[in-house]
Amino acid sequence: MKQMSLFKYVLRDGFRLVIRHLGMSFLTIFTAMAVFFVVGISTLFVLNVKNIVVMMENQLTITAYVVPKADIEEIAKLIKKMPEVKEVKIITKEMALEKLRARVGDQAKAVSLLGENPLPASIEIKVGKAAQVSDTAKMLVAISEIEDVVFAGRVAEKLTRVSNFVERFSWILLFMAIAASGVVLFNTIRISVYSRENEISVMLRVGATPTYVMMPFIIQAVVLGFTGAAISTLLIGATYYSAISGLKDMMPFLPFIESKTLIFKLAFMLITCGSLISFLSGMFAAQSFVSRASKPL
Amino acid sequence: MDIHFSGVTKIYEPDIVALEDIYLQVDRGEFVYLVGETGSGKTTLMRCIMRGVVPSRGHISVNGNVLRKISNHQLSLFRRDIGVVFQDFMLLPNLTVFENVAFVLEVIGCKPKEIATRVADVLKTVGIWRRRNLYPPQLSGGEQQRLVIARAIVNVPSLLLADEPTGNLDNCTADEIMQLLLSINAAGTTVLMATHNDYLVNTYRNRVVEIHKGRIVRDEKQGGYEANVAL
Repeated sequence: MKQMSLFKYVLRDGFRLVIRHLGMSFLTIFTAMAVFFVVGISTLFVLNVKNIVVMMENQLTITAYVVPKADIEEIAKLIKKMPEVKEVKIITKEMALEKLRARVGDQAKAVSLLGENPLPASIEIKVGKAAQVSDTAKMLVAISEIEDVVFAGRVAEKLTRVSNFVERFSWILLFMAIAASGVVLFNTIRISVYSRENEISVMLRVGATPTYVMMPFIIQAVVLGFTGAAISTLLIGATYYSAISGLKDMMPFLPFIESKTLIFKLAFMLITCGSLISFLSGMFAAQSFVSRASKPL
Repeated sequence: MDIHFSGVTKIYEPDIVALEDIYLQVDRGEFVYLVGETGSGKTTLMRCIMRGVVPSRGHISVNGNVLRKISNHQLSLFRRDIGVVFQDFMLLPNLTVFENVAFVLEVIGCKPKEIATRVADVLKTVGIWRRRNLYPPQLSGGEQQRLVIARAIVNVPSLLLADEPTGNLDNCTADEIMQLLLSINAAGTTVLMATHNDYLVNTYRNRVVEIHKGRIVRDEKQGGYEANVAL
């Protein structure tokens, strides 16, 4: 029962601290909110870029033209054995002509002017990753029966580079944001701790345990961090969906993420992260003071 | 609560000797005056008892527990059994009289009902119940002193350390405070009181321990403020 009473007192004191330093509390909540908003938005940006990369990777194909009279099926089997290759499809001369007709649409009649089908048979090859396109193409060229290889080499490489850069940048941003919110929370709690310097000193002298002394400050930090992160998730939800509807009109061919589950997962991650950072900041700020105050001369 | 000092020396860095080779035994239920000029080591000796100061040499045991060896958690529990009347009061100005006392019981996890009863009892005992809703700066010096005593005894400690509890008080108020401390002692609490008040020491005779430059120079049962003062 004593533990229950102690818990009630530390909870009450924690909320009292939030109210006692109302200006500082608002500032801290605002900073935490801004930081977690940036983190959330950049995470969504990275996830969308990755989604686009995956989509484009699925569309990235290498077209290999074989020499006339070569056994195209044998070559296709040989290519399929390559570890990077995901899918192989033989395009016969007839299929190539059909494709051309479909592509030119209204001018399909002009195709018949070509007379005998001049289009060569080819093999369409899909690879697992955009980064593997260039290397796979080089290997294909080395096969003597292959006359020519056509692929979107630069697009693949650039896409991979952009994806890697965005991912790395977002990690840096995440660490910077966590450090910034941690420092702000740490300083707020330190100010609270110093404002209760006498109280802490008396508490320790009358037999309060260091944990009891520290708990209200930790609760204060968690309340501030949690509130900041929770507000940021609401803002992210509101801005993301309105941004997506605008972007979809402008770029209908790009696959933007609209899953609500993902947003809930992101909100959960941000709130947990915010609470954890504030818990640690509060603990370090209070602990450094309490251990100094309780150290005998 | 009995206290035992064995060869205790405290040197503050770099070379200020606050206590030197102190041997002292205080038995359960005793009332002991600590006298001596300012800076003689009275406060350091009291702080040693609650482990606010750790001796450079020697050891202190309280109820058979060697203070140097107890853990931080045990220290918190140990301090709950000691009431301290601080020289500088250390009252919390943003809490009312009632809250200043209730605060001590909160940190040890007492229930609100129990706190209300015990705080009311102790405020009535020290005679400031009617001031319970005021803040410390609104009290007179004597009332503040009573509040500090109320805070010190609310948890019914076995030992009361009172550092200059009558400093800056007139003799009449000092008398009232002294009566209060004697009644606490009569209820079984060991009392160690550091004082410069010769009137109180000579009027209410008890054991006197005199400290000079960190050394015990006199330990007299039923002694006076100065040595060889006739009864």
